[in-house]
Amino acid sequence: MTIWTPTDDGFADLTSHDTFARGAPHNTFARLRRDDPVHWTDWDAGQGFWSITRHEDITEMNRQPQIFSSARGIRMEDQTYEEYLARRTFQETDPPEHMQTRIKVAKAFSKPVVAEFEQDIRGLCDEILDIALEKGEFDATKEIARQLPMRMLGRILGTPDEDLPWLVEKGDALIANTDPDFTDHVLDQMTTDEFRMMPFNSPAGAELYQYAKDLMAKKAAAGDTNGVLHLILQPSKDGSVITEEEFRNFFCLLVAAGNDTTRYSIAAGMQALCHQPELLGQMQTEDIWDTAPDEIIRWATPALYFRRTATQDVDMHGKTIKAGDKVLYWFSSANRDETVFDDPFRVNLKRTPNKHLSFGQGGPHVCLGMWLARLEVRVLFQELSKRLKSIEATGPHKFLRSNFVGGIKELPVRVVPK
Amino acid sequence: MKVTWILPDGGEISADVADGVNMMAAAVEHNIPGITGECGGNLSCATCHVYVADDWTGKTGSPDDFEDAMLDVAEAERKDCSRLSCQIVANAALDGLVLVVPAA
Repeated sequence: MTIWTPTDDGFADLTSHDTFARGAPHNTFARLRRDDPVHWTDWDAGQGFWSITRHEDITEMNRQPQIFSSARGIRMEDQTYEEYLARRTFQETDPPEHMQTRIKVAKAFSKPVVAEFEQDIRGLCDEILDIALEKGEFDATKEIARQLPMRMLGRILGTPDEDLPWLVEKGDALIANTDPDFTDHVLDQMTTDEFRMMPFNSPAGAELYQYAKDLMAKKAAAGDTNGVLHLILQPSKDGSVITEEEFRNFFCLLVAAGNDTTRYSIAAGMQALCHQPELLGQMQTEDIWDTAPDEIIRWATPALYFRRTATQDVDMHGKTIKAGDKVLYWFSSANRDETVFDDPFRVNLKRTPNKHLSFGQGGPHVCLGMWLARLEVRVLFQELSKRLKSIEATGPHKFLRSNFVGGIKELPVRVVPK
Repeated sequence: MKVTWILPDGGEISADVADGVNMMAAAVEHNIPGITGECGGNLSCATCHVYVADDWTGKTGSPDDFEDAMLDVAEAERKDCSRLSCQIVANAALDGLVLVVPAA
């Protein structure tokens, strides 16, 4: 059974957030992979851009940051140099500058450091699932998928639990800044320049900056060493310390990018459980936990694309990408590439190898939080499957209105606990 | 040049690698278990960590500052002979190189 039937006609408007509110336009991606792998889109709201849709091409280009730069923006939208300076994170830098920041935060998110959270995560899953499953019928995104990454964020930041809903709300307003359910400042519907210099063009960014600054000062004054964040504030090997600007930008990344992506991976996994009923049994009886998390994360592909900018002319598949042109790597397309994945529209919890690109693998910007994401997804589904007799969808799920973040924002389910 | 990977279970895999190809890319191409190279050789992860066999450490050189920092992030224990294999590039002088894949 195919659990996902693309609804677009093969010619979807990739610039339209409304396109993605119906789910990623996989018919269009399939056509582009086949017929037009370096595809130009004209755009009335900014410079046009190239779309790269084949797994092989993205992999080849992604490892060459000197040709395809992150330093002029990572989303489809154009930004001026002033905007870039005002709100960049280390996502928007190239090697070697990128590495200078990255080495200050890499240890805190390394596999061995993250692994120490496993029992903690299991405890959080206990609490979350006890509350949710008792309801019988509920929105799985809200009650389960949203909860775990939010609560883990609290552990990472070492912040009080009562601050968490506020932080997650602001993070959502930042990253889902094109969905009116998540922000009052819908990016493509704004008429004012007021927010342009703020991170993610959102006043929520300014509020998070202030929170981060206060938090850093408070922790320093109290000698508080709680949370992974403490590791980041330590001098690195060469004696350098994270700057205030680096810290507040990194903080915004943690709250935004590090939060909703795991949420939407969990939501997509639960959607798969509803529509591919054999998965629950496999989770309960088979040895799938080394491979299942990556397959769920492939299935989800929360980061639909990241953008680069060409630094020189490049000829590819009969087209010429000019220096200065925007180039989008559509991970959502690459993760359904039929030349790489057998039966790509089916969740196969034992898929090996699984060379999905959900974490931007193959390039310098590979997801810093990938070990934490894999761990959270594994433990959540281990604990969930243990407790479930059955799960079914009680209605259609709803996708986020965003061509940047792919996520199921509402997933109505009915469960029968064991 | 010829390279041999010694796996945690004692097994060995050998391959011919063209000059200029790094040892992470070669390992991924030959499906060496335990070497995934998630950042494509850009020093942003530590998933191509290897131990260079004793006789070879002189010829493979030593890590630069970024590699040194990222070796601290690797999953397996760091040793004096630890390297990120994406930073070791095939050349004739390394013919016969032996790399030990750490146990996870």
